[in-house]
Amino acid sequence: MKVNIIDLGSGNIRSLKNWIEKANITASCINNINDLDAEIIILPGVGEIGSYMKRLKRESFDKAILNHVKNGGRLIGICLGFQIMSIFSEESGGVKGLGLIKAETKRLKGNISHNEWEPLLLRKDSMTNQSFNSTEKLSRKTVLKGRVFYNHEYGVINKDSKAFTIPISSKLKQYTGLFVKDKIIGIQFHPEKSQITGKNLISMIL
Amino acid sequence: MRIGATLLLRNQNCVQSYSWSNIRPLGSLQIAMDSLEEYECDEVSIIRPVRAKDSIESFSKDIEAIRLIKTMTPISFGGGIRTLEHLELLRDLPVERLIFSSSFITKNKKLINKAKNLYGQQAIQCLLPIKIIDQKIFVYYCNEAKLISINKLDLSFINNFANEVVLYDISNDGLRDSFNEQIADSLSYDYPKLVLSGGIGKETIKWARKKGFASVLVDNKALHREYSINEYKNA
Repeated sequence: MKVNIIDLGSGNIRSLKNWIEKANITASCINNINDLDAEIIILPGVGEIGSYMKRLKRESFDKAILNHVKNGGRLIGICLGFQIMSIFSEESGGVKGLGLIKAETKRLKGNISHNEWEPLLLRKDSMTNQSFNSTEKLSRKTVLKGRVFYNHEYGVINKDSKAFTIPISSKLKQYTGLFVKDKIIGIQFHPEKSQITGKNLISMIL
Repeated sequence: MRIGATLLLRNQNCVQSYSWSNIRPLGSLQIAMDSLEEYECDEVSIIRPVRAKDSIESFSKDIEAIRLIKTMTPISFGGGIRTLEHLELLRDLPVERLIFSSSFITKNKKLINKAKNLYGQQAIQCLLPIKIIDQKIFVYYCNEAKLISINKLDLSFINNFANEVVLYDISNDGLRDSFNEQIADSLSYDYPKLVLSGGIGKETIKWARKKGFASVLVDNKALHREYSINEYKNA
């Protein structure tokens, strides 16, 4: 299995590569659409959505990602990379997203900044109606109980009743922490910085 | 409330600092990070304790040391990020958040805005090294290695641009349970925006948790005993 990580020159790409490689999977950082060659693309993201979207479009990664999903490829969006999959984000004065998921990204209620660790309980069997799960079965792990790290000011509000979702927390239950629908996974927290839980998550979902 | 640790990085190795002036070697950055990760430390602030003179060469060497670490613990980094050239060197680091100090004092909007575009508003922290002398509050201005009155700071600028503000009690740096609580009220910011550092111990943590601060950064003590972080979490 190969994984491509889109590298737009910002953020902690190195940490993501390190995270993927914890599952003994080869990951390459891609800054040119012609080099995309993996079944799984990771769309990372830190930064401001307006500036990030501009860079994504400038390098034609927006179209490449849409084509990848259309052709049956798997996609994992992390933090801003998850938010950018939604239809629209309120950030940067309002930005149209990739529209891959029926969801909107909004400023967290009360204009708060959410920089916290939150508990995560994930049962693999609850995702069985989604097609993301790998046939390679790298892990037999079926229940993941741990804690994950969030660092964000905007959150994704899911509007797709068929998607599997886990809310961020009881206080931020309207926002999605983990989203799985068909071949798409959206993760609001930083799995690459969630210590042992992040390490377990990668072998569970890939 | 997050329980984090501060690691001071000097010449590509970690050092311990006592009372802002005495430095002792600690060791390899990777080993320190590995230990803190094993103890499930919530976050680590890697700080270059630069005062006045700093060079881009020295900055670059420290950045390379950070680039090499493998970790799954959230990291914030600061100390000497003074120009766009410095910011450029930070690409592809295993770092989520950036800490600025002098740039907030001088209101370097261009630099902070650029950092915000690259890393996001949630990634910007302001560090204010604070000292109280005769009931007056001073901030250490690292670029010029001098104390200035807190009245010279544009607190609304900091409030608007910084996601969190790290208040570093420099008089009690490296000591246990001696953080000066007066410092926390010196800026009239909401407690959930503040991170406390310098002189953090179990009693400080109990008090900070009750008040609702965002985080505390334990300094030297975090690596003195294997169960330190766990004990602080259960304080």
